[in-house]
Amino acid sequence: MNQSIKNPKLLILACAVMEREIQQFRNGQVEFKFFDYGLHRTPENMSKTLQVEIDHASEEDYDGFILGYGLCSNGIVGIHSQKKRLIIPRIHDCISLFLGSPESYHEQAKQHPGTYYLTPGWIEKGETPISKFNSYAQSYGEETARWVLHEEMKNYTRILLINTGVCEIEPYQKIARQNAEFLGISFQEIQGSYQLFKELVCGPWSKNFLVIKKGHSIQQEMFLDL
Amino acid sequence: MIHREKKLNLDNAINRKLEKEGSGAVLKRLQQAVVQRDCNGVKALTERMVTEGVELFEILNQGLIPGMLEASERFRKGKFFIPELLMSSRALKFGLSILRPLIQERNKDVLGRVVIGTVKFDLHDIGKNLVIILLEGSGFEMIDLGVDVSPEKFVNAVEKNEAQILAMSSLLTSTMSWMKFTIELLQASGMHRRVKTMVGGAPVTQIFAKNIRADAYCREATSAPSVARKLLGIESNARAVFSE
Repeated sequence: MNQSIKNPKLLILACAVMEREIQQFRNGQVEFKFFDYGLHRTPENMSKTLQVEIDHASEEDYDGFILGYGLCSNGIVGIHSQKKRLIIPRIHDCISLFLGSPESYHEQAKQHPGTYYLTPGWIEKGETPISKFNSYAQSYGEETARWVLHEEMKNYTRILLINTGVCEIEPYQKIARQNAEFLGISFQEIQGSYQLFKELVCGPWSKNFLVIKKGHSIQQEMFLDL
Repeated sequence: MIHREKKLNLDNAINRKLEKEGSGAVLKRLQQAVVQRDCNGVKALTERMVTEGVELFEILNQGLIPGMLEASERFRKGKFFIPELLMSSRALKFGLSILRPLIQERNKDVLGRVVIGTVKFDLHDIGKNLVIILLEGSGFEMIDLGVDVSPEKFVNAVEKNEAQILAMSSLLTSTMSWMKFTIELLQASGMHRRVKTMVGGAPVTQIFAKNIRADAYCREATSAPSVARKLLGIESNARAVFSE
Protein backbone atom coordinates (compact mmCIF):
# COMPACT_ATOMS: atom_id res chain seq x y z
CA MET A 1 0.00 0.00 0.00
CA ASN A 2 2.78 2.38 0.95
CA GLN A 3 4.49 1.65 -2.29
CA SER A 4 1.42 2.62 -4.26
CA ILE A 5 1.15 5.94 -2.42
CA LYS A 6 4.68 6.76 -3.49
CA ASN A 7 3.80 5.82 -7.02
CA PRO A 8 0.36 7.25 -7.57
CA LYS A 9 -1.42 5.80 -10.54
CA LEU A 10 -4.09 7.07 -12.86
CA LEU A 11 -7.13 4.98 -13.66
CA ILE A 12 -8.39 5.21 -17.23
CA LEU A 13 -12.08 4.56 -17.77
CA ALA A 14 -12.65 4.27 -21.49
CA CYS A 15 -14.99 3.04 -24.17
CA ALA A 16 -14.15 -0.42 -25.48
CA VAL A 17 -14.03 0.84 -29.08
CA MET A 18 -10.67 2.53 -28.37
CA GLU A 19 -9.10 -0.29 -26.37
CA ARG A 20 -6.40 -1.17 -28.91
CA GLU A 21 -5.35 2.45 -29.44
CA ILE A 22 -5.13 3.09 -25.69
CA GLN A 23 -3.40 -0.17 -24.83
CA GLN A 24 -0.49 0.81 -27.10
CA PHE A 25 0.56 3.29 -24.45
CA ARG A 26 0.29 0.94 -21.51
CA ASN A 27 2.80 1.85 -18.82
CA GLY A 28 3.34 1.38 -15.10
CA GLN A 29 1.56 4.59 -14.17
CA VAL A 30 -1.87 3.75 -15.50
CA GLU A 31 -4.53 1.14 -15.05
CA PHE A 32 -7.35 0.56 -17.48
CA LYS A 33 -10.98 -0.31 -17.37
CA PHE A 34 -13.02 -0.54 -20.56
CA PHE A 35 -16.78 -0.23 -20.88
CA ASP A 36 -19.29 -1.60 -23.31
CA TYR A 37 -20.03 0.56 -26.34
CA GLY A 38 -23.75 0.14 -25.58
CA LEU A 39 -23.54 2.94 -22.96
CA HIS A 40 -23.66 5.37 -25.90
CA ARG A 41 -27.20 4.47 -26.72
CA THR A 42 -28.42 5.81 -23.39
CA PRO A 43 -26.43 8.84 -22.21
CA GLU A 44 -28.18 8.71 -18.81
CA ASN A 45 -26.76 5.25 -18.19
CA MET A 46 -23.27 6.30 -19.28
CA SER A 47 -22.90 8.91 -16.55
CA LYS A 48 -24.41 6.61 -13.91
CA THR A 49 -22.12 3.71 -14.80
CA LEU A 50 -18.95 5.81 -14.88
CA GLN A 51 -19.88 7.63 -11.67
CA VAL A 52 -20.27 4.35 -9.80
CA GLU A 53 -16.78 3.33 -10.94
CA ILE A 54 -15.28 6.65 -9.88
CA ASP A 55 -16.96 6.62 -6.48
CA HIS A 56 -15.84 3.09 -5.88
CA ALA A 57 -12.24 3.65 -7.01
CA SER A 58 -11.91 6.97 -5.17
CA GLU A 59 -11.08 5.04 -2.01
CA GLU A 60 -8.01 3.56 -3.68
CA ASP A 61 -4.64 5.13 -4.25
CA TYR A 62 -5.25 6.68 -7.61
CA ASP A 63 -3.97 10.13 -8.34
CA GLY A 64 -6.87 10.81 -10.66
CA PHE A 65 -9.15 9.46 -13.35
CA ILE A 66 -8.82 9.76 -17.09
CA LEU A 67 -11.97 9.39 -19.12
CA GLY A 68 -11.61 7.89 -22.57
CA TYR A 69 -14.80 9.56 -23.72
CA GLY A 70 -15.89 12.75 -25.39
CA LEU A 71 -18.95 14.76 -24.40
CA CYS A 72 -20.83 11.83 -26.03
CA SER A 73 -24.26 13.47 -26.30
CA ASN A 74 -23.96 14.67 -22.68
CA GLY A 75 -23.27 11.12 -21.49
CA ILE A 76 -20.50 12.37 -19.20
CA VAL A 77 -22.22 15.51 -17.92
CA GLY A 78 -22.42 15.60 -14.14
CA ILE A 79 -19.57 13.16 -13.53
CA HIS A 80 -17.38 14.26 -10.65
CA SER A 81 -14.87 13.01 -8.13
CA GLN A 82 -14.91 14.33 -4.59
CA LYS A 83 -11.35 13.24 -3.94
CA LYS A 84 -9.38 13.16 -7.18
CA ARG A 85 -8.96 15.11 -10.37
CA LEU A 86 -10.59 14.10 -13.65
CA ILE A 87 -8.90 14.38 -17.02
CA ILE A 88 -10.96 14.26 -20.17
CA PRO A 89 -10.38 15.14 -23.81
CA ARG A 90 -12.27 18.30 -24.77
CA ILE A 91 -14.01 16.74 -27.75
CA HIS A 92 -17.56 16.01 -28.80
CA ASP A 93 -17.00 12.31 -29.42
CA CYS A 94 -14.28 9.76 -30.01
CA ILE A 95 -13.94 10.48 -33.74
CA SER A 96 -11.64 13.40 -32.85
CA LEU A 97 -9.41 10.97 -30.95
CA PHE A 98 -9.22 8.56 -33.88
CA LEU A 99 -8.53 11.33 -36.40
CA GLY A 100 -5.94 12.96 -34.13
CA SER A 101 -7.55 16.35 -33.51
CA PRO A 102 -10.89 18.15 -33.22
CA GLU A 103 -9.84 20.18 -36.27
CA SER A 104 -9.52 17.12 -38.51
CA TYR A 105 -12.93 15.91 -37.35
CA HIS A 106 -14.44 19.30 -38.07
CA GLU A 107 -12.86 19.28 -41.53
CA GLN A 108 -14.32 15.86 -42.35
CA ALA A 109 -17.74 16.79 -41.01
CA LYS A 110 -17.70 20.02 -43.00
CA GLN A 111 -16.82 18.32 -46.27
CA HIS A 112 -19.19 15.39 -45.78
CA PRO A 113 -21.75 15.95 -43.03
CA GLY A 114 -23.32 12.58 -43.86
CA THR A 115 -20.32 10.50 -42.83
CA TYR A 116 -20.66 7.26 -40.91
CA TYR A 117 -17.30 6.71 -39.22
CA LEU A 118 -15.86 3.26 -38.62
CA THR A 119 -12.65 2.08 -36.98
CA PRO A 120 -11.47 -1.47 -36.27
CA GLY A 121 -12.69 -1.00 -32.67
CA TRP A 122 -16.11 0.21 -33.77
CA ILE A 123 -16.47 -2.74 -36.11
CA GLU A 124 -15.42 -5.23 -33.43
CA LYS A 125 -17.01 -3.77 -30.33
CA GLY A 126 -19.46 -1.16 -31.53
CA GLU A 127 -21.91 -1.47 -34.35
CA THR A 128 -22.15 -1.12 -38.11
CA PRO A 129 -25.17 -0.48 -40.33
CA ILE A 130 -25.22 -4.20 -41.20
CA SER A 131 -25.02 -5.29 -37.57
CA LYS A 132 -27.83 -2.86 -36.73
CA PHE A 133 -29.94 -4.25 -39.56
CA ASN A 134 -29.38 -7.81 -38.35
CA SER A 135 -30.31 -6.90 -34.83
CA TYR A 136 -33.46 -5.05 -35.93
CA ALA A 137 -34.43 -7.93 -38.23
CA GLN A 138 -34.09 -10.41 -35.40
CA SER A 139 -36.58 -8.45 -33.31
CA TYR A 140 -38.98 -7.17 -35.94
CA GLY A 141 -38.42 -9.02 -39.22
CA GLU A 142 -36.62 -7.92 -42.35
CA GLU A 143 -39.25 -5.60 -43.75
CA THR A 144 -39.47 -3.47 -40.61
CA ALA A 145 -35.67 -3.62 -40.20
CA ARG A 146 -35.24 -2.24 -43.70
CA TRP A 147 -37.65 0.61 -42.97
CA VAL A 148 -36.04 1.46 -39.60
CA LEU A 149 -32.52 1.41 -41.03
CA HIS A 150 -33.63 3.58 -43.94
CA GLU A 151 -35.17 6.14 -41.59
CA GLU A 152 -32.04 6.11 -39.46
CA MET A 153 -29.44 6.19 -42.24
CA LYS A 154 -31.12 7.85 -45.21
CA ASN A 155 -29.07 11.03 -45.02
CA TYR A 156 -25.67 9.34 -44.84
CA THR A 157 -23.57 9.57 -47.99
CA ARG A 158 -20.28 7.91 -47.11
CA ILE A 159 -18.57 5.43 -44.84
CA LEU A 160 -15.16 6.57 -43.68
CA LEU A 161 -12.83 3.95 -42.25
CA ILE A 162 -10.21 5.46 -39.96
CA ASN A 163 -6.99 3.49 -39.94
CA THR A 164 -5.12 4.24 -36.72
CA GLY A 165 -2.43 1.70 -37.58
CA VAL A 166 -2.99 -0.53 -34.56
CA CYS A 167 -3.78 -3.67 -36.48
CA GLU A 168 -3.91 -5.19 -39.92
CA ILE A 169 -6.54 -3.15 -41.73
CA GLU A 170 -7.57 -5.45 -44.62
CA PRO A 171 -10.31 -7.41 -42.79
CA TYR A 172 -11.86 -4.14 -41.61
CA GLN A 173 -11.65 -2.60 -45.08
CA LYS A 174 -13.66 -5.51 -46.34
CA ILE A 175 -16.36 -5.08 -43.69
CA ALA A 176 -16.50 -1.29 -44.12
CA ARG A 177 -16.86 -1.72 -47.91
CA GLN A 178 -19.63 -4.26 -47.44
CA ASN A 179 -21.46 -1.76 -45.25
CA ALA A 180 -21.08 1.00 -47.83
CA GLU A 181 -22.42 -1.32 -50.53
CA PHE A 182 -25.26 -2.38 -48.27
CA LEU A 183 -26.33 1.25 -47.87
CA GLY A 184 -25.49 2.20 -51.46
CA ILE A 185 -23.12 4.96 -50.37
CA SER A 186 -19.45 5.69 -51.01
CA PHE A 187 -16.52 4.22 -49.12
CA GLN A 188 -13.31 6.00 -48.19
CA GLU A 189 -10.39 5.30 -45.92
CA ILE A 190 -8.31 7.83 -44.06
CA GLN A 191 -5.13 7.60 -42.05
CA GLY A 192 -5.89 8.25 -38.41
CA SER A 193 -3.52 9.33 -35.69
CA TYR A 194 -2.62 8.11 -32.23
CA GLN A 195 -1.38 11.51 -31.04
CA LEU A 196 -4.39 12.25 -28.83
CA PHE A 197 -4.44 8.71 -27.46
CA LYS A 198 -0.81 9.13 -26.46
CA GLU A 199 -1.56 12.41 -24.71
CA LEU A 200 -4.64 10.91 -23.11
CA VAL A 201 -2.67 8.11 -21.49
CA CYS A 202 0.73 9.72 -20.92
CA GLY A 203 0.08 13.46 -20.76
CA PRO A 204 1.04 16.26 -20.73
CA TRP A 205 -2.54 17.33 -21.35
CA SER A 206 -2.66 20.12 -23.89
CA LYS A 207 -5.48 22.49 -24.85
CA ASN A 208 -7.40 19.50 -26.16
CA PHE A 209 -7.95 18.24 -22.61
CA LEU A 210 -9.84 19.41 -19.56
CA VAL A 211 -8.44 18.83 -16.10
CA ILE A 212 -11.31 19.03 -13.65
CA LYS A 213 -10.45 19.69 -10.03
CA LYS A 214 -11.81 17.46 -7.29
CA GLY A 215 -15.30 18.38 -6.19
CA HIS A 216 -16.20 19.89 -9.56
CA SER A 217 -18.41 18.18 -12.09
CA ILE A 218 -18.24 17.96 -15.87
CA GLN A 219 -20.57 20.39 -17.64
CA GLN A 220 -21.66 20.66 -21.26
CA GLU A 221 -20.51 24.30 -21.51
CA MET A 222 -16.89 23.21 -20.97
CA PHE A 223 -16.95 21.58 -24.41
CA LEU A 224 -18.71 24.28 -26.41
CA ASP A 225 -17.15 27.26 -28.16
CA LEU A 226 -19.90 29.79 -27.77
CA MET B 1 -70.66 16.31 -37.18
CA ILE B 2 -71.54 12.94 -35.71
CA HIS B 3 -69.62 13.44 -32.50
CA ARG B 4 -71.33 16.74 -31.83
CA GLU B 5 -74.81 15.26 -32.20
CA LYS B 6 -74.03 12.33 -29.99
CA LYS B 7 -72.60 14.60 -27.33
CA LEU B 8 -75.79 16.66 -27.26
CA ASN B 9 -77.77 13.57 -26.28
CA LEU B 10 -75.71 13.11 -23.15
CA ASP B 11 -77.28 15.93 -21.25
CA ASN B 12 -77.58 14.63 -17.74
CA ALA B 13 -74.93 14.39 -15.08
CA ILE B 14 -74.89 10.60 -14.87
CA ASN B 15 -74.43 10.19 -18.57
CA ARG B 16 -71.71 12.81 -18.59
CA LYS B 17 -69.93 10.98 -15.81
CA LEU B 18 -70.21 7.66 -17.62
CA GLU B 19 -68.98 9.23 -20.81
CA LYS B 20 -66.02 10.71 -18.99
CA GLU B 21 -65.07 7.41 -17.38
CA GLY B 22 -65.57 5.59 -20.64
CA SER B 23 -63.47 7.97 -22.66
CA GLY B 24 -60.80 8.00 -19.92
CA ALA B 25 -60.35 4.26 -20.23
CA VAL B 26 -60.26 4.42 -24.01
CA LEU B 27 -57.76 7.29 -23.91
CA LYS B 28 -55.56 5.12 -21.72
CA ARG B 29 -55.82 2.33 -24.25
CA LEU B 30 -54.95 4.77 -27.02
CA GLN B 31 -51.83 5.85 -25.11
CA GLN B 32 -50.80 2.24 -24.71
CA ALA B 33 -51.43 1.50 -28.38
CA VAL B 34 -48.92 4.25 -29.29
CA VAL B 35 -46.39 2.82 -26.80
CA GLN B 36 -47.02 -0.69 -28.14
CA ARG B 37 -46.44 0.54 -31.73
CA ASP B 38 -49.87 -0.76 -32.74
CA CYS B 39 -50.78 1.26 -35.85
CA ASN B 40 -54.14 -0.43 -36.44
CA GLY B 41 -55.04 -0.15 -32.77
CA VAL B 42 -54.25 3.58 -32.75
CA LYS B 43 -56.30 4.09 -35.91
CA ALA B 44 -59.31 2.13 -34.62
CA LEU B 45 -59.30 3.76 -31.18
CA THR B 46 -58.91 7.28 -32.60
CA GLU B 47 -61.76 6.68 -35.06
CA ARG B 48 -63.91 5.26 -32.29
CA MET B 49 -63.38 8.23 -30.01
CA VAL B 50 -64.07 10.72 -32.80
CA THR B 51 -67.30 8.88 -33.57
CA GLU B 52 -68.28 8.78 -29.91
CA GLY B 53 -67.88 12.52 -29.63
CA VAL B 54 -64.72 12.78 -27.55
CA GLU B 55 -63.16 16.19 -28.02
CA LEU B 56 -60.41 16.22 -30.62
CA PHE B 57 -58.32 18.17 -28.13
CA GLU B 58 -58.71 15.39 -25.58
CA ILE B 59 -57.84 12.62 -28.01
CA LEU B 60 -54.70 14.49 -29.00
CA ASN B 61 -53.50 15.78 -25.64
CA GLN B 62 -54.66 12.99 -23.37
CA GLY B 63 -54.27 10.03 -25.71
CA LEU B 64 -51.83 10.31 -28.58
CA ILE B 65 -49.33 12.78 -27.12
CA PRO B 66 -48.94 11.14 -23.69
CA GLY B 67 -48.47 7.80 -25.49
CA MET B 68 -45.66 9.25 -27.56
CA LEU B 69 -44.22 10.94 -24.48
CA GLU B 70 -44.03 7.59 -22.73
CA ALA B 71 -42.29 6.07 -25.77
CA SER B 72 -39.77 8.96 -25.72
CA GLU B 73 -39.17 8.50 -21.98
CA ARG B 74 -38.55 4.80 -22.50
CA PHE B 75 -36.05 5.73 -25.21
CA ARG B 76 -34.31 8.16 -22.87
CA LYS B 77 -34.05 5.49 -20.19
CA GLY B 78 -32.72 2.84 -22.55
CA LYS B 79 -35.85 0.71 -22.51
CA PHE B 80 -36.65 1.62 -26.11
CA PHE B 81 -34.17 1.97 -28.94
CA ILE B 82 -34.42 3.58 -32.34
CA PRO B 83 -36.69 0.90 -33.89
CA GLU B 84 -39.24 1.15 -31.09
CA LEU B 85 -39.16 4.94 -31.14
CA LEU B 86 -39.71 5.04 -34.90
CA MET B 87 -42.48 2.48 -34.72
CA SER B 88 -44.28 4.47 -32.00
CA SER B 89 -43.96 7.60 -34.17
CA ARG B 90 -45.46 5.67 -37.07
CA ALA B 91 -48.40 4.57 -34.90
CA LEU B 92 -48.88 8.15 -33.70
CA LYS B 93 -49.04 9.26 -37.32
CA PHE B 94 -51.99 6.93 -37.92
CA GLY B 95 -53.95 8.71 -35.20
CA LEU B 96 -52.91 12.20 -36.21
CA SER B 97 -53.89 11.59 -39.83
CA ILE B 98 -57.46 11.10 -38.62
CA LEU B 99 -57.46 14.15 -36.33
CA ARG B 100 -55.68 16.55 -38.64
CA PRO B 101 -58.44 17.08 -41.25
CA LEU B 102 -61.04 17.41 -38.48
CA ILE B 103 -58.98 20.03 -36.68
CA GLN B 104 -58.43 21.86 -39.95
CA GLU B 105 -62.12 21.75 -40.72
CA ARG B 106 -62.93 23.22 -37.34
CA ASN B 107 -60.27 25.90 -37.32
CA LYS B 108 -60.44 27.46 -40.72
CA ASP B 109 -57.16 29.25 -40.20
CA VAL B 110 -53.95 27.49 -39.27
CA LEU B 111 -52.68 28.24 -35.77
CA GLY B 112 -49.43 29.53 -37.16
CA ARG B 113 -46.78 28.91 -39.76
CA VAL B 114 -43.62 27.17 -38.62
CA VAL B 115 -40.32 26.92 -40.49
CA ILE B 116 -38.40 23.88 -39.24
CA GLY B 117 -35.11 22.13 -39.97
CA THR B 118 -32.08 20.34 -38.60
CA VAL B 119 -29.12 22.68 -38.25
CA LYS B 120 -25.99 22.97 -40.39
CA PHE B 121 -23.75 19.87 -40.64
CA ASP B 122 -26.33 17.74 -38.87
CA LEU B 123 -28.30 15.12 -40.76
CA HIS B 124 -30.40 13.61 -38.02
CA ASP B 125 -34.11 14.05 -38.53
CA ILE B 126 -36.02 11.48 -36.51
CA GLY B 127 -36.87 14.01 -33.78
CA LYS B 128 -37.51 16.82 -36.23
CA ASN B 129 -39.89 14.67 -38.27
CA LEU B 130 -41.75 13.73 -35.12
CA VAL B 131 -42.16 17.41 -34.25
CA ILE B 132 -43.49 18.03 -37.76
CA ILE B 133 -46.23 15.43 -37.52
CA LEU B 134 -47.17 16.59 -34.02
CA LEU B 135 -47.40 20.26 -34.98
CA GLU B 136 -49.21 19.51 -38.23
CA GLY B 137 -51.63 17.30 -36.35
CA SER B 138 -52.18 20.14 -33.89
CA GLY B 139 -53.13 22.63 -36.57
CA PHE B 140 -49.87 24.34 -37.52
CA GLU B 141 -48.66 24.78 -41.08
CA MET B 142 -45.16 23.35 -41.42
CA ILE B 143 -42.42 24.36 -43.83
CA ASP B 144 -39.75 21.67 -43.62
CA LEU B 145 -36.30 22.71 -44.81
CA GLY B 146 -34.85 19.25 -44.19
CA VAL B 147 -31.40 18.65 -42.72
CA ASP B 148 -28.02 20.45 -42.82
CA VAL B 149 -29.79 23.82 -43.00
CA SER B 150 -27.59 26.93 -42.93
CA PRO B 151 -28.53 30.03 -40.92
CA GLU B 152 -29.04 31.93 -44.20
CA LYS B 153 -31.46 29.33 -45.47
CA PHE B 154 -33.43 29.40 -42.21
CA VAL B 155 -33.65 33.19 -42.19
CA ASN B 156 -34.62 33.40 -45.86
CA ALA B 157 -37.36 30.82 -45.39
CA VAL B 158 -38.76 32.69 -42.36
CA GLU B 159 -38.91 35.88 -44.40
CA LYS B 160 -40.31 34.34 -47.55
CA ASN B 161 -43.02 32.38 -45.74
CA GLU B 162 -43.76 35.03 -43.14
CA ALA B 163 -43.40 32.35 -40.47
CA GLN B 164 -44.37 33.05 -36.87
CA ILE B 165 -42.08 30.36 -35.47
CA LEU B 166 -38.64 29.07 -36.40
CA ALA B 167 -37.97 25.59 -34.96
CA MET B 168 -34.46 24.13 -34.99
CA SER B 169 -33.27 20.65 -34.12
CA SER B 170 -29.84 19.15 -33.54
CA LEU B 171 -28.68 15.73 -32.41
CA LEU B 172 -24.99 16.46 -32.08
CA THR B 173 -23.29 18.59 -29.46
CA SER B 174 -20.89 19.57 -32.26
CA THR B 175 -23.66 21.17 -34.32
CA MET B 176 -25.71 22.83 -31.57
CA SER B 177 -23.78 26.08 -32.01
CA TRP B 178 -25.47 26.55 -35.38
CA MET B 179 -28.67 27.31 -33.51
CA LYS B 180 -26.87 30.22 -31.92
CA PHE B 181 -25.49 31.43 -35.27
CA THR B 182 -28.98 31.28 -36.78
CA ILE B 183 -30.49 33.28 -33.93
CA GLU B 184 -27.69 35.82 -34.28
CA LEU B 185 -28.43 36.17 -37.97
CA LEU B 186 -32.12 36.66 -37.20
CA GLN B 187 -31.16 39.40 -34.75
CA ALA B 188 -28.77 41.04 -37.20
CA SER B 189 -31.50 41.17 -39.83
CA GLY B 190 -34.02 42.54 -37.33
CA MET B 191 -36.33 39.60 -38.01
CA HIS B 192 -36.17 38.32 -34.44
CA ARG B 193 -38.94 40.80 -33.69
CA ARG B 194 -41.28 39.07 -36.12
CA VAL B 195 -40.53 35.42 -35.40
CA LYS B 196 -40.21 33.30 -32.26
CA THR B 197 -37.53 30.64 -32.05
CA MET B 198 -37.82 27.21 -30.46
CA VAL B 199 -35.00 24.69 -30.16
CA GLY B 200 -34.71 21.04 -29.24
CA GLY B 201 -32.88 17.78 -29.82
CA ALA B 202 -31.30 15.18 -27.55
CA PRO B 203 -28.22 17.18 -26.42
CA VAL B 204 -29.98 20.55 -26.19
CA THR B 205 -30.69 21.73 -22.65
CA GLN B 206 -32.78 24.49 -21.11
CA ILE B 207 -29.59 26.30 -20.08
CA PHE B 208 -28.18 26.12 -23.59
CA ALA B 209 -31.44 27.41 -25.08
CA LYS B 210 -31.38 30.31 -22.64
CA ASN B 211 -27.73 31.09 -23.33
CA ILE B 212 -28.26 31.33 -27.08
CA ARG B 213 -31.37 33.47 -26.47
CA ALA B 214 -33.87 31.11 -28.02
CA ASP B 215 -37.46 32.01 -27.15
CA ALA B 216 -38.37 28.46 -26.14
CA TYR B 217 -36.93 25.04 -25.44
CA CYS B 218 -38.56 21.68 -26.08
CA ARG B 219 -37.23 18.92 -23.88
CA GLU B 220 -39.33 16.40 -25.77
CA ALA B 221 -40.73 16.43 -29.28
CA THR B 222 -44.11 15.85 -27.68
CA SER B 223 -44.00 19.19 -25.89
CA ALA B 224 -43.68 21.04 -29.23
CA PRO B 225 -47.43 21.69 -29.78
CA SER B 226 -47.89 23.13 -26.31
CA VAL B 227 -44.69 25.20 -26.52
CA ALA B 228 -45.65 26.52 -29.96
CA ARG B 229 -49.09 27.54 -28.72
CA LYS B 230 -47.53 29.30 -25.75
CA LEU B 231 -45.13 31.16 -28.03
CA LEU B 232 -48.03 32.49 -30.06
CA GLY B 233 -50.01 33.35 -26.93
CA ILE B 234 -52.76 30.82 -27.53
CA GLU B 235 -51.92 28.19 -24.92
CA SER B 236 -54.15 29.58 -22.19
CA ASN B 237 -57.20 29.06 -24.38
CA ALA B 238 -55.93 26.02 -26.21
CA ARG B 239 -59.11 24.21 -25.26
CA ALA B 240 -61.17 26.91 -26.89
CA VAL B 241 -59.04 26.69 -30.00
CA PHE B 242 -59.78 23.02 -30.36
CA SER B 243 -63.35 23.04 -29.12
CA GLU B 244 -66.37 24.72 -30.59
